[in-house]
Amino acid sequence: MYPIMAVVLKQGQHLMRCHSNNIKWIITAMLIGQVILGCVSFHIDKINVGVDIPPPPDEFKAGNTSLQEVLNRYGAPAEIVNMEGHFALHYQRTMGRAGHISIGVPLIDVLKAGPELTARANLLSHDTLVFVFTPAGLLEDMVYEKGTSRPLWGTFWKMGP
Amino acid sequence: MRRACLIISILLLISCGNSCAVIGRGKNFRPFDENMLTQVTPGKTTASEVAILFGAPSQIVKLSNGNAYVYERSVEKVTGLWLVVLSFGNFDTQYDRIVFFLNKDDVVSHYGSSFKTGAASYAMPF
Repeated sequence: MYPIMAVVLKQGQHLMRCHSNNIKWIITAMLIGQVILGCVSFHIDKINVGVDIPPPPDEFKAGNTSLQEVLNRYGAPAEIVNMEGHFALHYQRTMGRAGHISIGVPLIDVLKAGPELTARANLLSHDTLVFVFTPAGLLEDMVYEKGTSRPLWGTFWKMGP
Repeated sequence: MRRACLIISILLLISCGNSCAVIGRGKNFRPFDENMLTQVTPGKTTASEVAILFGAPSQIVKLSNGNAYVYERSVEKVTGLWLVVLSFGNFDTQYDRIVFFLNKDDVVSHYGSSFKTGAASYAMPF
C-alpha cells in the first residue's frame, strides 16, 4: 500500500505545481491584458502661465523707487489693484502639476459591473511679486514669494490648507 | 528571461502602435501693435490718442488720481502624448500686455509693456 500512496501523493504534488504555474500564468496574462486594454492608466500634466519673475533688485527701495522704474524693469503687470488711494501692481506666474492613476477591472461584459479605482492630485504654485505705490506713484511696499521653488511632493502633502 | 524580453518587446510594439500625439494652439487675440508704443509720449499723449493707436482697452482700472488702461492678449500652446497606459499633457500660456497710467486730465503719465507670447512653447511635462 505504501509505495502506491507515495506515487499518488507525488502525482498530486506534481498536479498542484502544474496548477500553481498555470494560475501564475493566468494572473500574468490578465494583468498584461488589463494593461493592453487600457484599464490601468497614468496621466501627468504640467501647466505654466506666465514667465519667470525675478526677485526685486536691491536698488528698489520704499520711498525712493518710482512707478516708471518698476514698469521699466518688470513690464506690464498681470493686475492693477486700486487700494482706496494707494494702488498695487501684481505680477504672477503660475505653475501646476497634476497626476491621475486609474485601475479598472474589465468585467462589464461578465458581471454588468466594471469596478474602477481612480486617484487624482494636482498642485498649483505661484511666484508672486506685489508693489504697492502711493497715489503719487512712489513705491511704498513690496512683497515677493517664490512659490514654484518649493518641493512638489513635500508641498503637496504638507498639513494644513 | 527570453520569454520576459519577448513579452516586453511585444508590449512596447503595441504601445508604439497605439500611441497618439496632439498639439494645440489657442489665442485670445487683440489687434494692438507694439511698434505703436514709439508714438506714445508720457505727459503728452491723451487717453483718446491711446484708444486710436491701440483700440479699446481690455480693462480700465479706476485709480484715485486717474485711470489705467490695460491691453492684454494671450497664446496657449498644448502638447499631449498618449501611450497605452501612460499619457502626458503640457499647457503653456503666455501674455502680451501694455498698461497706460492716465492722470486726472486723461494724459498718459506712465506706461509699461511686456510681450511674452513668443515664449509659449510646445514641450513635455518632464
